[in-house]
Amino acid sequence: MLDISSLSRSYDGTLVVDDVTFRVTPGRMTGFVGANGAGKTTTMRMILGVLAPTSGQVLWNGSPITTGQRRRFGYMPEERGLYPRMRVSDQLVFLARLHGVDRAEAARRARELLDHFDLGDRADDVLDTLSLGNQQRVQIAASLIHRPDALVLDEPFSGLDPVAVDAMASLLAKEAGDKPLLFSSHQLDLVERLCDDLVILSHGKVVAAGSVDELRGTGPERYRVRLDGSDAAWIRGLRGIEVKDVDGGTALVDLDGITPSELLSQLVAKEPVAEFTRVRQPLSAIFREVNR
Amino acid sequence: MSTATTSDPTSTSTTEEVRGAWRVVAEREISTRVREKSYIYSAVIMVVGVVATVVLTSILGGRPTDYKVAVTDDASAAIVSAASTVVDRTDDGSTAKPQQVGSTAAAEKAVRDGDADAALIATDDGYEMVGKDEIDSTLSTALSTAGSTAALKANADSQGVDLAELQKGSAVSERLLDPADGDAGARQLAAYVFLILFYITAVTFGMSIAQSVVQEKESRVVEILAAAVPIRAMLWGKIAGNTLLAFAQILLLAIAGIASLAATGETGLLTALGPAVGMYVVFFVLGFVALAGLWAVAGSLASRQEDLQSTTMPGQVLLFAPYIIAFSAGASVKTVVSMLPIMSAMLMPSRMAEGGVPVWQIAVAVVVNVLGAIGIVRLAARLYERTLMRTERKIGFGEALRLSE
Repeated sequence: MLDISSLSRSYDGTLVVDDVTFRVTPGRMTGFVGANGAGKTTTMRMILGVLAPTSGQVLWNGSPITTGQRRRFGYMPEERGLYPRMRVSDQLVFLARLHGVDRAEAARRARELLDHFDLGDRADDVLDTLSLGNQQRVQIAASLIHRPDALVLDEPFSGLDPVAVDAMASLLAKEAGDKPLLFSSHQLDLVERLCDDLVILSHGKVVAAGSVDELRGTGPERYRVRLDGSDAAWIRGLRGIEVKDVDGGTALVDLDGITPSELLSQLVAKEPVAEFTRVRQPLSAIFREVNR
Repeated sequence: MSTATTSDPTSTSTTEEVRGAWRVVAEREISTRVREKSYIYSAVIMVVGVVATVVLTSILGGRPTDYKVAVTDDASAAIVSAASTVVDRTDDGSTAKPQQVGSTAAAEKAVRDGDADAALIATDDGYEMVGKDEIDSTLSTALSTAGSTAALKANADSQGVDLAELQKGSAVSERLLDPADGDAGARQLAAYVFLILFYITAVTFGMSIAQSVVQEKESRVVEILAAAVPIRAMLWGKIAGNTLLAFAQILLLAIAGIASLAATGETGLLTALGPAVGMYVVFFVLGFVALAGLWAVAGSLASRQEDLQSTTMPGQVLLFAPYIIAFSAGASVKTVVSMLPIMSAMLMPSRMAEGGVPVWQIAVAVVVNVLGAIGIVRLAARLYERTLMRTERKIGFGEALRLSE
């Protein structure tokens, strides 16, 4: 269990991360979204201890995290980086050993991860002879090389094609297993598809956090209504609803004090109903709303 | 900006893991470096340079000479043998040996062909020295002395005079108030060789530390490293790895120097320089560790390779100053500087090679260097931690000192 507790960070008096608190639950993929400059990277760097917080703390299973525990984390920084002139497998083994893994185990693990990415035959090649996409795969392998206890990945999917995104997502799901996994992304459709939990950051503050389902449910209950008749304007006269839009026989209404079945029976009493659908807000709408 | 590198004393297993990280870093420094061809080449060139210097000095600086003198009779041979002790007056092991030939013509031929350095031929009124175009002055003096002594002895014996009695009171001996050391030139040369090799080795390996740091910043791998191990462990690893490499090179050069002195038979010089060479290696390590801290900081202040030119300036100056001082400053300045941290690491062994350094000054230099190395490395660790993660631009030394934790 990874808890971020009231983390703040200021640069030269400007607060870039402001009292950020959220939880990364083991076994649930947690997406970390926010506009550019919202403070995602700064927060992640503080979680890893690469950057010291101005105030607040990071808790691991309820107590303040230690350097040793952080060393068991897997991290992929926003600014990618490995040794360009070092051989791929040497580099992975070196990083694993820094994390305390012994050489033989590190070599086995490097082979396993490279094979997963179909890079087994490039193991002895120097990193900068690989394509950018493959370098990105090695970067992910670097964050997984020591079988981390938790994963913190800054924009792991950026720059990948859709097929690679799927391969990466399935690998992460498998590797993370029942461990906490936090990743940031600005691709909302991706986050919506992959994540169980979501934290939305805006101007350094958490503006929304919770499960994806909860967040989508936080908006008003909205229904699309299509009547058999060609003019649905009369429903503006009904009580307990707020009509957002009417277009011919179709209307968009938010429930305001009545249940869906009460609305439906009122409608059916007047006119046959061709369609009655719950409209779920896409994340992008939530995102736009909280970032206003 | 700085980094949280707080370690938890309660979790022993993990702190142990953290403790070993510097070794992994050091190993990478070494294995990366020894694979570079330039590293191998420069080491080989320096060893060859040291051996060549010793051998050339030995050849140019009065090697023992074995003079060959062609003679036609036993009396002349006896004179040549007697001259041998005169030739060796300077104890350099030179000898003069008679070479019996059948006739005067044969003796002249031997001289002409270069088979003999000179010929000693008996004449009616004494002896004649025959040379080709000139006769070596040492040999000529020795032969004339031995020849006239032999003649005097023979004449004295035939007249029944005691030669010793006759020569009594005629001996003129020599006493120098300030005798020149026979090895002074060689010692001076050794002192300069010490300085030059120290300078080259320290700059080469110092630069390689700075470059290795800035490469990690440039490639951004530094962020992954900082997330994996405490930043200090990275610094210790770099200092340890590169110091070991530089030490290996200096040791190799010292061994090459000693071995070639022994091989060329310069035992006198070897005895005189031995302690200086030993202390040279010790001083090098002490001086290099302190400098290594500065070079690592030079790397962490830079954001690109090009910045190194300016950020390595303090290290360059600290290495170049003793070099200048050794060549141009007076004795008292040298004495003082040879007891300051870092600079003394270069100057003291060089002074020791020249000879006549009081033991207390050597002791002071060692203590000052140990303290200096500890102080500078500690300061370097602080600066390194504060600046390593700042990859966006170059930082000055002064600014780094003012940065808060």
